[in-house]
Amino acid sequence: MAPPDNDVLWARSLHCTLGGSEALSGVSLGVREGEILAVVGPRGSGKTTLLRCLSGQLTAQQGEVWFNSGPVHTLAPAQRERLRRERFGWIDPEPGLVPELTGWENTALPLLLRGTSHRAAKTAAQEWLERLDIGGCARKRPHALTQSQRQRIAIARALVTTPSVLFADEPTATLHRADGAQVLRTLAAAARSHGITVLLATHDGEVAALADRTVALLDGRRVAAVPPASGAEGVAACSLSV
Amino acid sequence: MLALRLARGTHPLVLTRRLLVAAAAAGVGFLLLCTLGYAVGHPAQSSASVLRLLWCVLPLAATVQFAVAVARTDPSTRPRPGLSAIGLGPARLTAIAAASTAVACTLGSVVALLFYLHLRGDITGLPFDGAAAELLAADQPVPLAAALTLLAVLPVVAATAAGLALRPRTAPAAPEGAERAMPSGLPWGVALVAVGLAVETYAAQGASRGGLPLPGGFDGNPAGVLAGWVLTAVGLALAGPGLTHGCGRLLQAVRPGAVRLLAGRVLMDESRRIGRPLGVVSAVLSGALAAAELYGADGGSEAFGPLTVLGAALVLACTTATLLTAALESKQGRTHTTEALLRLGAPPTVLRTAALLRAGALLAVFLPLTWAIAELAATPLRG
Repeated sequence: MAPPDNDVLWARSLHCTLGGSEALSGVSLGVREGEILAVVGPRGSGKTTLLRCLSGQLTAQQGEVWFNSGPVHTLAPAQRERLRRERFGWIDPEPGLVPELTGWENTALPLLLRGTSHRAAKTAAQEWLERLDIGGCARKRPHALTQSQRQRIAIARALVTTPSVLFADEPTATLHRADGAQVLRTLAAAARSHGITVLLATHDGEVAALADRTVALLDGRRVAAVPPASGAEGVAACSLSV
Repeated sequence: MLALRLARGTHPLVLTRRLLVAAAAAGVGFLLLCTLGYAVGHPAQSSASVLRLLWCVLPLAATVQFAVAVARTDPSTRPRPGLSAIGLGPARLTAIAAASTAVACTLGSVVALLFYLHLRGDITGLPFDGAAAELLAADQPVPLAAALTLLAVLPVVAATAAGLALRPRTAPAAPEGAERAMPSGLPWGVALVAVGLAVETYAAQGASRGGLPLPGGFDGNPAGVLAGWVLTAVGLALAGPGLTHGCGRLLQAVRPGAVRLLAGRVLMDESRRIGRPLGVVSAVLSGALAAAELYGADGGSEAFGPLTVLGAALVLACTTATLLTAALESKQGRTHTTEALLRLGAPPTVLRTAALLRAGALLAVFLPLTWAIAELAATPLRG
């Protein structure tokens, strides 16, 4: 069964088991070109697993993943790696920078790995760092920067190749709220101006408000909406049991 | 007991490293016992016995260095948050490292003792019973206290060194990837190498025979030459980190691509860890080359007794194994970098090429250096 034409990324009934427990049970999803799609859900609901399946880092035990009308789930590991390198970008909650390289070198690394010339890679990296307001960090190593600066370098590194799809897994989880909001705004603005499709996994409702569309996950299944945190209910249960 | 329990569940590769330490310890123990046997058999030639004992210091030092390197890479001695929470903090882990080093070395010493007794003919029932009975003074009883003291030296020294190397530090460690200053030992190292070679040349020209003879049948080996060689070796060990840093700097210079950038930067950052054992290996190799060239030419196989060969092989094997273990330690220390690169979609060939490039650059610098120093050291002695 071929995917609809206007979806850049499309998944059908993904089942994925991680460490003995089922992380995804029958998730289907279509991502339209150029949209920002938020995947929301509490911790352990399968957001990261879904993103890893869609980006080809994990293969689902059952189900299909299609990218630009080509199957991803049947590709060999080396081809999926190449797809990740050339078409996808990835942002983790942790910056994951290479500690031995300076800010601009970290940003330019995906370009250098593709074989871009040193000078072109440096220019592109500097431009992206300026756009994300961290031009001053270009010559410093990651250990000398703040967490929010490091995370912005990770975002610049993901954007420098202008990928077709950008996977952002809780990109602001380790930042303070003000830093996080600013990082997200720059990320969204950059994605919209360059027509990059973004999949944003988050458990935060405010973060999800930036997105065009929201998909909710709960215990590895798609649900209509995530129920609010059940703090009050839990307190009631505790008081009853005493 | 905890050290033994941890050892039971360890990965086979880690156990292999510990077994190698035990094997080296067995070699050193056997050399020490043979020295004892010589001393018991020749009570009149006490100075020759002391000389043999002194020569044993070299393999002993190499084995201790190897044991410390293995203790550093041991996964069971690395601080883990879960264990720290239940009270197994850095201090206890240091104790575990020292204990497992002591266990490995004691195992080696016991094997050495059994083998020695077997060769003397005290333990029978296996091939080569008492094959070296005459050489090892089988007609005399083994002084038990002396044997045990000699055998205890290595476990005690190695465990102490491992404990000291892994002791918890009060100052916090530098963050990962922090720029480190260029190792400062290079000028000192070069100076020491030059002084060592000069002393050696001078002593060889003065050629007063009969200073420090090698136990295996070397005919004359002036103390000045030996002092010169030791100076050269220390100089090479000091210069190693600086040279490695320079290699890394050259690799990542002038518009590098991803491979050269990664290879060079990592080499610059790891120059201390890799450079020192590399310098030691280089010094040992140059010494071995020079000795082989000098004595191999005229003496042939007579110049080297079996025990000399055993000692030299021990030193060579231990220093090389230390270098490999240091490389492994540096690889373990860079797991974050590797993970980050793989997450980016970097092909594994890039990582492998970078590692090969590093090894190639180091070989290209250190092999000619080793050969040149060996030649320079051998030249004055040959004349």
